Amino acid sequence: MELAWAQEHDQYRERLRAILARELPSNWMQDYAHGRGTQGEIAFSRTFCPKLAAEGLLIPHWPKEYGGQDGDAWEHFILSEEMWTWGDPRGPQYMNVNWIGPTLMKFGSPAQKEEHLTRIANGSVIWCQGFSEPQAGTDLAALRTRATRTNHGYVINGSKIWTSYANGSDWCFLLTRTSDERRAISVFLVPMDTPGIEVFAIPGLVEEGHIHEVFFKDVEVPFSALVGEEGMGWEVVTHALSLERVGIPRYHLGRLAMDAAIGKLKREDRYGDPLMRAAAGRIIAKLEAARMLTYLVVDQRAKQQPANAMTNIARVSNAEAVTDTLNFLMEYAPGCLTSRDDPYLTLFYRYAITNTIASGAYELQLNMIAQRALNLPRERRQ
Amino acid sequence: MNLEFTEDQAVLVSSVENILDKYAELPTANRRDYHYYARDLDQALVANGFLDAVSSMGSLEAVLVVEAVSKIAPVVEIATSTLVAPHISAEELPRPLAIVSGDLSQAQRYLSVAKAALLDTGDDILLIDIRPGDVEAVDTIFAYPFGRFTTAPDLSKARSLGAAAVGPFRQWRQVALAAEAIGAMRSAVDFTVDYVKQRQMFGHALGLFQAVQHRLAQCHQATCAAQYLTYRAGWSGDPLDAVLAATYAQSHMPKLWFDLHQFNGAMGVTNEHKLHFWTYRLRALQSEMGGANEGALQAAERVWGKVA
Ligand SMILES: Cc1cc2nc3c(=O)[nH]c(=O)nc-3n(C[C@H](O)[C@H](O)[C@H](O)COP(=O)(O)OP(=O)(O)OC[C@H]3O[C@@H](n4cnc5c(N)ncnc54)[C@H](O)[C@@H]3O)c2cc1C
Repeated sequence: MELAWAQEHDQYRERLRAILARELPSNWMQDYAHGRGTQGEIAFSRTFCPKLAAEGLLIPHWPKEYGGQDGDAWEHFILSEEMWTWGDPRGPQYMNVNWIGPTLMKFGSPAQKEEHLTRIANGSVIWCQGFSEPQAGTDLAALRTRATRTNHGYVINGSKIWTSYANGSDWCFLLTRTSDERRAISVFLVPMDTPGIEVFAIPGLVEEGHIHEVFFKDVEVPFSALVGEEGMGWEVVTHALSLERVGIPRYHLGRLAMDAAIGKLKREDRYGDPLMRAAAGRIIAKLEAARMLTYLVVDQRAKQQPANAMTNIARVSNAEAVTDTLNFLMEYAPGCLTSRDDPYLTLFYRYAITNTIASGAYELQLNMIAQRALNLPRERRQ
Repeated sequence: MNLEFTEDQAVLVSSVENILDKYAELPTANRRDYHYYARDLDQALVANGFLDAVSSMGSLEAVLVVEAVSKIAPVVEIATSTLVAPHISAEELPRPLAIVSGDLSQAQRYLSVAKAALLDTGDDILLIDIRPGDVEAVDTIFAYPFGRFTTAPDLSKARSLGAAAVGPFRQWRQVALAAEAIGAMRSAVDFTVDYVKQRQMFGHALGLFQAVQHRLAQCHQATCAAQYLTYRAGWSGDPLDAVLAATYAQSHMPKLWFDLHQFNGAMGVTNEHKLHFWTYRLRALQSEMGGANEGALQAAERVWGKVA
């Protein structure tokens, strides 16, 4: 066991910090506090990501044959920690580089790889994820959006919901049903300007412009838009989801929020409250525990070990620590929800609600721990 | 970063476990006791050099030894001797060692079996020798032996370990507490998981119900989290890591106690079931060193500074 960072990892982090200091505008956090999914954020992503790409920092974890550097999982994770310190100025492009690109490497046709991987690697394209539907959330296989085969390709009808960034995306990684059999699902790569696609923003508790409804009415796509074979979408999506083992470094966001909140409480001369400090101390213990468990998952990944229940354990740990952080803010610094005087806290406050819902609900993580780590029987479902 | 054990660490754990295998069973006469102090295991651990883990291998290795020993139902005083003593004294201290605090006329953990006791006076650590007759056993339902002084110890005769020992004493006591806790937490969770797989109600194993699964999954998560914080504290020797490990473990003890007893039902209320050997060890540890709130205050101070 060696828990210190290797020198090259420290240097990598320093380099990232220097680039962020150079490239982010001085009012970045203020502007950014207007939210993820705003047109401003998406536009910034289109100029910032090509710069990262030029520095070799957009896809360092990709294989060399696709323009990456075969970088290790730790570098990829350090990149994520540093980006999220600033609310992730890559905006929606974390999806491209983390799982859309790597999924296409495995399942895409040569033409799809040629067309998409280069553009993702350049940082010049925005994707959205068209998975969830009104009747298919955690139970993704219940999706109803249907792709019907024609002589020229497929015609897609249906709707997607909660789609992040759909308002500014060039492409959608779209899950559809291609027959009535439950798992007969197929993935299509669909340009968002295809006739028949309509996007509506849904106002919500997370920032404006983040989540959307997307309607598909007689949307025609060519055969070449299909990823892999018809009906093998379940395999594709399972692989795609497995690539996001740890996702956002939430313990890191929680720690930044706690530091900001305590700074604020000190300025307001409220740091003397022992109840508040005891609550904060318990949260730090939880955040640091989540950090250790997340690092354990990254370590497994760096050693190319298959994913196991530790992924779910780390997610639960992060979810609980962040929820406690959120409650701490509500109890001791509620003003940050209304005053916007600290853009980071405002954003953390609003965004953290998704922590236990999106990308695998908290209870699903518990199910997985019970089954994969404790070998408890799987509850029967209809 | 490398979160896997080295080969030496893995060998160490398996060699402790080999010894523990021989002593893990409770003697029939003690099967229904509240605690059982395994003197023969104590001797075997000493004879095989496991109590010298800090000097021979390192503090993380000592954590691994204490964790492994804390997984079995019998107890031995090893955490203080292995993890605290080497950090506060260059000389070998008598053992078993108790740590006494608060009102010294009250019951103290391990005092009934101890050869010496450590006392934190605020600006010194005192070593109090214990002779036969100085202490008497106290019956408790905690899964440790407890004892009290029959007459107040004469502190003027106690040996001073010096002001410099105070910081390391407190730090490594937190690591020792956490290392004992993670062993007991793991065994209590595993014991309960086995139980809910076997116990049938409503035509199913209890472990089929999601209400049961989720809470056990949370207990498992808390145990893994406490475990890695404790390893970090052993590895780094950083006082912040020590307080985080102890605080995390102590703050999750109420949840484990409630959920694990809940799922063992009335069986868990009887001494025929072994659960109490771990849960009532956690109960005893829960309030030591001021409990989770005291640890949390210290953690806050180390992270964000003292109150001006
Ligand atoms: C901010 C945000 C952004 C999102 N972005 C996208 C996106 O870009 N693309 C996309 O496709 N989707 C997106 N989603 C949707 C997200 O993937 C879904 O919210 C998620 O899959 C859960 O589905 P649901 O919300 O319909 O919950 P439901 O399936 O309705 O479940 C509701 C709750 O029931 C409980 N539950 C469900 N199943 C079980 C079970 N088996 N056992 C125990 N409890 C259970 C859980 O508590 C769960 O939270 C986003 C969501 C949010 C909040």
